[in-house]
Amino acid sequence: MLLLIKSPTLCFSLSLPLPLSSGFYWYFGYIINLQNFLSWTIMSYCARIQYEKIGSDVTMQCGSLDNDASVTWKVNGTDVKARRREEGPRLILMEVNMSSNGLYSCFQNPDGQRRDQINLRVGLPPKEPQVTCRSNTYPKGFYCSWHLQHPTYIPTDFEVDVQHNQRPLEVTRDEVHKNRCHVKFPELFTSFPYRVNVTAVNSLGRASSAISFEESSIGTKSNQILRGLCLKQDQNNFPVELSDSTSHTITDAYAGKEYIIQLAAKDMEIGTWSDWSVAVHATPWMEEPKPITSTTESDIIPGMHELPTVRTLLSYSL
Amino acid sequence: NHIQNKSFCVHNVCVCTVYLSYLGPPFSDPGFSPPRPNSSSLSVPSAATRVDLWRGLENGARLAQNQRAYSVLLCAVRELARSTLCPYLQSSLMHFCSGLSGLLGSISGLMNALGYTSLPPSTPAQGYAPLLSSQFQNMEGFWVLRELQSWLWRSAKDFTRLKKRLQRLATTVHGLN
Repeated sequence: MLLLIKSPTLCFSLSLPLPLSSGFYWYFGYIINLQNFLSWTIMSYCARIQYEKIGSDVTMQCGSLDNDASVTWKVNGTDVKARRREEGPRLILMEVNMSSNGLYSCFQNPDGQRRDQINLRVGLPPKEPQVTCRSNTYPKGFYCSWHLQHPTYIPTDFEVDVQHNQRPLEVTRDEVHKNRCHVKFPELFTSFPYRVNVTAVNSLGRASSAISFEESSIGTKSNQILRGLCLKQDQNNFPVELSDSTSHTITDAYAGKEYIIQLAAKDMEIGTWSDWSVAVHATPWMEEPKPITSTTESDIIPGMHELPTVRTLLSYSL
Repeated sequence: NHIQNKSFCVHNVCVCTVYLSYLGPPFSDPGFSPPRPNSSSLSVPSAATRVDLWRGLENGARLAQNQRAYSVLLCAVRELARSTLCPYLQSSLMHFCSGLSGLLGSISGLMNALGYTSLPPSTPAQGYAPLLSSQFQNMEGFWVLRELQSWLWRSAKDFTRLKKRLQRLATTVHGLN
């Protein structure tokens, strides 16, 4: 009797020859394996994951077999073709790379019974993460975000700790952005810097980096905002600095040329410029727009380059 | 109502940076962040405050806190200038003191105009007594500038808030007339 158990996870796709006269029990990923008619052992048939460093030599051990056992290895159901050495129950792959990734299974000779499954994932230990902090909810608190410049190819977690005046602060991880955390200001106008330490951790190693900043350099939210405009056309940038107005008309753009417009803001008294906004594309029209005739029913008027004016764009982005 | 916050930077050279390099290590080290000396040895009031307390400050109290802070700071920076051996630094600090003095005058003037009691200008700032040991002096100098930075940062927000409140008050009064 062949029992095939399929499941979305790797744990369950296996086939077992089961003797009719014996019962079996399975519970969550564990299947009681009838090794022989006299003893039972519980073996986890969830393929275990093995993380290894790219470029290294990797040893995979087939279950808990003796050193003189003889096994056959397969990767993703096919023969292993990479450079390797086999020593008893061990498979040693040389200088693994991304193509070495796969599900390795070992079958004991001569009965052909599968003894183990290893999900090999090659990757790299993390390098120092890049950390930035800013406040867009001043004076309530600030948030920090981080990223790894170089991918690790394997799951990597991050630990964050924030210190202020030699005291640790409570850090709340963002629910949506997994590489972001939020911190409340314990007090305002303190004379101590904040120190944020982010550590990247995975199975192959860890790396951390820290940044320090004063409250005054974190950025502010205020009603007195200076707005700056940047026009880009071909390779030229035309920065236009504005006052606290909320609309602006550009009068010297070339007709027919596409412009890219972005906006940034800064508190008038104190603080730094915000990030540039999402870019808006606009092309000043070549000919005067034709007046809308009452007989036209559709919204789209052919022959008219109805593009939003700069004013519309600005009030939209503000 | 123009209360100018004197920038810490004069001719693109920040007085604080110059003074720190004058003090030398460890004060000039970028990451240097020692614990604050306790209030008995450092009489400059801290600008630090809880968000809710700061928001709830009455106009008179807000101004009084600034006035007290700057009168102590003025005295402290004057003392720093006096004890500085480098002439360029000394003149920078004295120039900065004149800015602080102007700021203090504006605050007192505003307080009088609004009918709040303020410290008499001739009273020397209470509690500021310069320490004699040179190592303590350096630490004192470091912390005076630190607190000055915090107060300048805070005052900008104090006065913005005050201005909004007074403007609201003025329009209410105007509406009543």
